[in-house]
Amino acid sequence: MAGQGTKPKILILATEDCAYPGANSVGQAHLAYADNVYVLRTREPAMFPEKFYLDCFAKGIAGIIIMSCGVECPYEGAYPALSKRIDRVYVSMKERGLDPRRLRLTAICTVCNRAFINEVKKMNDVVSELGMPGEEKMATAAA
Amino acid sequence: MTAEDSKKKPAGDEKVAVYICHCGGNISDHVDVEALERMAAEMPGVTVSRRNHFMCSDPGQNMIIEDLKAGKADRIVVASCSPALHETTFRRAAQRAGVNPYLYEHANIREQVSWVHHGDGATAKAAALVGAAVAKARALQPLEPIRVEAIRHATVIGGGIAGLKAARDLAIRGVKVALVEKTPFLGGNFAKLDRVYPTQEKAGDLLTGLAAAVLAHPSITVLTCAEMIASEGYVGDFKLKVKRQPPQDAEDLDKLIQLKQAGTAKGTFVPFVGILPFDVPVGEETVDLATGAVVLATGFKHYTPPKGMYGYGDNPEVITLPDLIKLMAEDTAGGGTLQVNGRPIKTMAMIRCVGSRQIPGIHEPDEKGNLNEYCSRVCCTATLQADRELREKYPETVIYDFYRDIRAYGRGHEEYYVGASRDGVLFVRFEADAAPAVARAPEGSESPLSITAKDTLLSGQDLEIPVDLVVLAVGMVPSDVSSIVDIMKLPVGADRFLLEVHPKLRPVELATTGILLAGTCQAPMDSTEAAQGATAASVKAATILSRGFVELDPYVAAVNADLCTGTGACVETCPHSGCITLVDAAGGKGRMAKVNPALCTGCGMCVAVCPNIAIEVNGWTLRQYEAMVDAIVGEPIVAEAE
Repeated sequence: MAGQGTKPKILILATEDCAYPGANSVGQAHLAYADNVYVLRTREPAMFPEKFYLDCFAKGIAGIIIMSCGVECPYEGAYPALSKRIDRVYVSMKERGLDPRRLRLTAICTVCNRAFINEVKKMNDVVSELGMPGEEKMATAAA
Repeated sequence: MTAEDSKKKPAGDEKVAVYICHCGGNISDHVDVEALERMAAEMPGVTVSRRNHFMCSDPGQNMIIEDLKAGKADRIVVASCSPALHETTFRRAAQRAGVNPYLYEHANIREQVSWVHHGDGATAKAAALVGAAVAKARALQPLEPIRVEAIRHATVIGGGIAGLKAARDLAIRGVKVALVEKTPFLGGNFAKLDRVYPTQEKAGDLLTGLAAAVLAHPSITVLTCAEMIASEGYVGDFKLKVKRQPPQDAEDLDKLIQLKQAGTAKGTFVPFVGILPFDVPVGEETVDLATGAVVLATGFKHYTPPKGMYGYGDNPEVITLPDLIKLMAEDTAGGGTLQVNGRPIKTMAMIRCVGSRQIPGIHEPDEKGNLNEYCSRVCCTATLQADRELREKYPETVIYDFYRDIRAYGRGHEEYYVGASRDGVLFVRFEADAAPAVARAPEGSESPLSITAKDTLLSGQDLEIPVDLVVLAVGMVPSDVSSIVDIMKLPVGADRFLLEVHPKLRPVELATTGILLAGTCQAPMDSTEAAQGATAASVKAATILSRGFVELDPYVAAVNADLCTGTGACVETCPHSGCITLVDAAGGKGRMAKVNPALCTGCGMCVAVCPNIAIEVNGWTLRQYEAMVDAIVGEPIVAEAE
């Protein structure tokens, strides 16, 4: 059996009110996307501290897409807090030699199946280019 | 199906049962469910791994119940369709087996595997998702719904059509109601309509009946000239402060003078004013309300065009659609031609999408930087209705109707478009970036105004039409509810309307349980839809309060006393006042955080800022996510061949 272990893995944190149903709508439309993508349902991604993202990369997750409700977030103040936190994660990623493109904050609605697929494709392009986390650092050093 | 207990025993004490659904081929046509069953059996902590054609069927659920009752497992994972469909089904199955329903995790291997992936990759991904679900299941703790006592009383804020309907619907379901209206009048914007589509009934007749039912109902207390000034508490037990004071608004004062001069009896509908149910208060007073739920029906305002837009404010012959409706209603003389300010209106123009569907770069934001990018929806049919009524009442008045698009979306609305076309209304389509221009007509013209436009349906032909009147079909903008938003910490959308949790999955609900939305406070809608929203909100509120207590989801923040050092970071970040407080820790160990579960929405913002991860959202903990990620990045489990 072709193992998932050989492919760079992409984690999606999807809000249960918007993006998770949006991911389901891709299936309901029987549209295909790469099978190295793992969707985790969240109430609100504002709960994840900076360290969570950095740990994910350290563990071998090649790309993370946060699929939030965006400005339609039902929790007051959560989206601005999330947005600011992701900015701080980008700073930490750069300090660690991680390309910030590995982490993307986006908004996906319950019927955004084309947008979902587009986001997955773009992140797959990024991780194909960069390889596993840390490889971009080695590539830079080699250059 | 064969039952296959794993030979491996868990590393911890948890015993996880995994159930794999074929979904009648929806899953098993693309996922090798037999291999998946064997792989799941090898996962740490798994004591039972089984499959069934339909796990949601009685035999499927009975399989779960029998295993749990036999003590083969103490928690379950079901790998099947979306949790939106059967999460509750399987939680209840666990509950019937005497197992805490929150010791359950769902692996979505249909919508997110078999319907989007095929071949070996599908099975491997299904195994990874089942592995993640097992990892989370092992970290689950039993939870109990949060039970709070509920006062069978609701407060409705806003006395327009939605507020009145919500109040009445709550009362007939046995809930006591306080209706809080800011102005001295009941009826809101609905009172400013003449006839309502699609039935062409008189708005005043409908309002009179509804308001009479509200005012006569013994369970409803109506407070006019009243505003909520403070709120605390939670679903089942909100404590509101409402201030009543003499009317301050100039328009309200003017209307009161008119009513007094006319000698209108209280409780009587007055067109374009509403219903004055009582005398206005002569002094200030504060009313305390103990209430179980709050229905917000704060309504909308008509968009006011800025001076100069389509000549508005510069030319008395440019008016809005609400102005036209009032003019027509008050014109009892009739005749062949509409008269405005003594001038016969031989030719007039309607212009649509004024203040709606605004496009960045084309339309100017208002002074606060707001651009109304949404469609106000109602103005299309309202304009068609005006077209038809004009043609019927004033057959000699020629109407040009300038539109970008026409959205006659509701039941019976298309008939207005067909009717207006048949009645001779001349429709002219324009593009957003080439809107009609309104100017004073040249000297000597019979009409005071001239309107120029490109008709996109006539290959962009330039039109110049002398007109006697221009009517702007203005859109809807939200009422200023900033004080309520601040007091109750309510979410507001980019369009500045109040934001329900989800239009399909949780309509009219806010994330704060017990606060509901009715009518145009949440989006532009017509009075039919506003009344529907009011009924939905009232039924949800009545259901919440029906048992005398409320059971809330246990997905709220909880503090680990062993880890909390009382930094207060969670208190600072929580948007809900009083939800998290610092209290003395037991044994004189300084301060620690304490959560009021009834106030917590479970957003988890507190989790991210705690340096010790001493606060977590029950059922959705950071440690559970870390375990899921570990399972996903871990080495794939290889199924042993049978």
